Amino acid sequence: MAARTLSIKKRGLNFETFMWAFTRFTVIAMYGLIIVGVLGGLRLSMITGVNFGDIMYWAFFPNMVSNPLGQVWMNIIARLMVIAFVLVVCGHGVHGVLEIWDDYVTSEKARRWARNIVISYAIVASIIAIYVILSA
Amino acid sequence: MGLKRNVSLSTALGYKGQGPYLTFILHRIGGSALFVFFTVYILSLVGVQSMHTLMSNWLFQAFFLVFGLFHAINGLRITILDIFPKLIEHFRIAISIEWVAYVLVAGFALFVVLRTAFGG
Repeated sequence: MAARTLSIKKRGLNFETFMWAFTRFTVIAMYGLIIVGVLGGLRLSMITGVNFGDIMYWAFFPNMVSNPLGQVWMNIIARLMVIAFVLVVCGHGVHGVLEIWDDYVTSEKARRWARNIVISYAIVASIIAIYVILSA
Repeated sequence: MGLKRNVSLSTALGYKGQGPYLTFILHRIGGSALFVFFTVYILSLVGVQSMHTLMSNWLFQAFFLVFGLFHAINGLRITILDIFPKLIEHFRIAISIEWVAYVLVAGFALFVVLRTAFGG
């Protein structure tokens, strides 16, 4: 198989190219956040002496367990990291789910409805997650 | 793509793509599984106790780890090949490396989940 040499300029910036780039950027952001999150969690664990697993569990389920981190800056960073991760996952997931859906459903109407429902779902789920993470 | 396809899943898996096609299908299954996992996570955050109980179930954890990890590792391979298109010539080797990495990571994850579930 020959390597592709078509530049972005020659491909043109249509919806497909944009979504392809968006999906790639969000997945790179996810890997980055995972690496920074794990390293940050390990660092916080080292500073506070709290179990790494407990920190990660609290970060993703702040309404289920009490806050193991003492200082305010740790809370803010941990919450922002999880919010960023949830948003990136939502963005990545929307495109993935719609791509699968579009492969199996050919009706324009059904595709349009699916697009509206999935995007609305992602927005609502993101708002709920941000609210719970910030308010817990 | 039409809705009526006269190709069974077993035939589809034996399609000329074979190994790469298997990764394609598993990537989609993994992505769909993660979508379900995300929904359970959001419901759990909202405070639906049954969803939180479900997330604590070892079978649920094992299922989503097996498919979720495949999606993550296969996605990494796709991203690397997209960023460095010259490597596409070696995509079969990349898939082999991916499988080795996946078996090691998923094996370790399953071992931890099962050990925690059954003690020992």
